[in-house]
Amino acid sequence: MSRRAVIAGVGHTAFGKFPDRTAWDLEAEAAAAAVADAGLRPADVDGLLTDPGAVQGILDGITPHFLRLGAQLGLDPTYTGSEILGGAGSVAIVERAALAVEAGLCEACLCVYGDSALSGADAYGYGRGDEAAFGFFGAAGLHALAARRHMHRYGTRPEHLGEVAVAARAYAARVPHAQKRGALGMDEYLASDPIVEPLRRLDCCLVSDGAAAVVVTTAERAAGSRRPAIPILGHAQAHSLSTYASPDHFDALPASRSGPEAFGRAGVAPADVDVALLYDCFTIVVLLQLEDYGFCEKGEAGPFVEGGRIGPGGSLPVNTSGGLLAEGYGGGMLHVIEAVRQLRGDAGDRQVADAEVALVSGHGLGMNTHATLVLGV
Amino acid sequence: MEVSACADCGHLFLPPGPCCPRCWSRRLAARAVSGNGRVWSFATYRRTYHPAMPAPYVVALVELDEGPRLISNVVGCAPEDVAIDMPVRVRFEEVGEFTLPRFEPLSGGGRS
Ligand SMILES: [Zn+2]
Repeated sequence: MSRRAVIAGVGHTAFGKFPDRTAWDLEAEAAAAAVADAGLRPADVDGLLTDPGAVQGILDGITPHFLRLGAQLGLDPTYTGSEILGGAGSVAIVERAALAVEAGLCEACLCVYGDSALSGADAYGYGRGDEAAFGFFGAAGLHALAARRHMHRYGTRPEHLGEVAVAARAYAARVPHAQKRGALGMDEYLASDPIVEPLRRLDCCLVSDGAAAVVVTTAERAAGSRRPAIPILGHAQAHSLSTYASPDHFDALPASRSGPEAFGRAGVAPADVDVALLYDCFTIVVLLQLEDYGFCEKGEAGPFVEGGRIGPGGSLPVNTSGGLLAEGYGGGMLHVIEAVRQLRGDAGDRQVADAEVALVSGHGLGMNTHATLVLGV
Repeated sequence: MEVSACADCGHLFLPPGPCCPRCWSRRLAARAVSGNGRVWSFATYRRTYHPAMPAPYVVALVELDEGPRLISNVVGCAPEDVAIDMPVRVRFEEVGEFTLPRFEPLSGGGRS
């Protein structure tokens, strides 16, 4: 009989600008919080997977991140590694932790994201090889290509992107630790500065210092958790590495492959999802995922989000903690944690009533990488 | 303008690499193409990220008539006049020690 992986503990730091703290310091705080929340002791941790974020992972990636963090935490695990998958990294390491626990490679796998991207200058001003010579800088440019294409092909309007930004801020107003808690109206969204058209400043996620961690273990091992352990019902990854050569690159995400795989393993369908935690580095990515995960037809995400459907009180609550657009840039790990909180019934005045199934996604490296989790109680 | 061509399966591709990304053959050659294509999508930079590229400027994904796609710039017209599916033609520009293939609107309507 196969073992079922669960998320037994979650923990995170504050998110914002902390120039006096290193990412290592933040990661140690988040790790301790998650292990304590799981009802475990440090000596119980025998798996360590890390998502080092942009500053440590891409700019300082000489010493493997897991090696240095493991030394600082005093761990000698049976299973370890770091993933450089951009924004898909955090969800991907939880996905791999589930695989490892299900396979018996480890019993309690600590998954850690951390970064000091706000204090670490220029982390996001990167160019990709020769393309930088054309001024193709930053993730915003890539996602602007996707947004322009969607608008051209399907008639998607700026107000549709705005629905995503407005909903995120409406949720974040209910999240005490959110980095951006002020309400946002559509008029203010539409008046925000163009950055890389058709994207505005308010289409772009926050940059943050902070860390977040979860503990993946077996249901048996989680019996001592202080809070309910949440089963990982389905998980999958899919990637699109051939980029511009693919006819549909920018039109469709690898979510269209990892979604059905994860839903299939979980035995659920999009209609069963009570709360969706969708990676939201840019507003357009949420619209693409609503389509590619099958919540609506291809090209229909704009009309789908109209009228506050994904916001508080809407029929499909999306990113109920405000996500990367308002809660803070947590590499996707905060999305995992919010899913756990919703399924524990632990989400305060943003709680989705009777939440039983949550979808979590990670998306990264300029639309190349994708990871999916389906959690359920 | 040249792209990489696979001698085994005929696939044309950019950027150049160690093997054909379709069949993994390593029998590759450069093939001259027309330099004509169309704008598949584009992004208008309104913020200056690097002094060598003052805003506004247009980064486009250009699909060549022969199939391969590449990231480049659309120059020779106002950013407001760029559109998806717009026919464009390559124009080589010297930038420091590099020669960059940029694209300008293909006027006269001829896509041969
Ligand atoms: Zn070939």
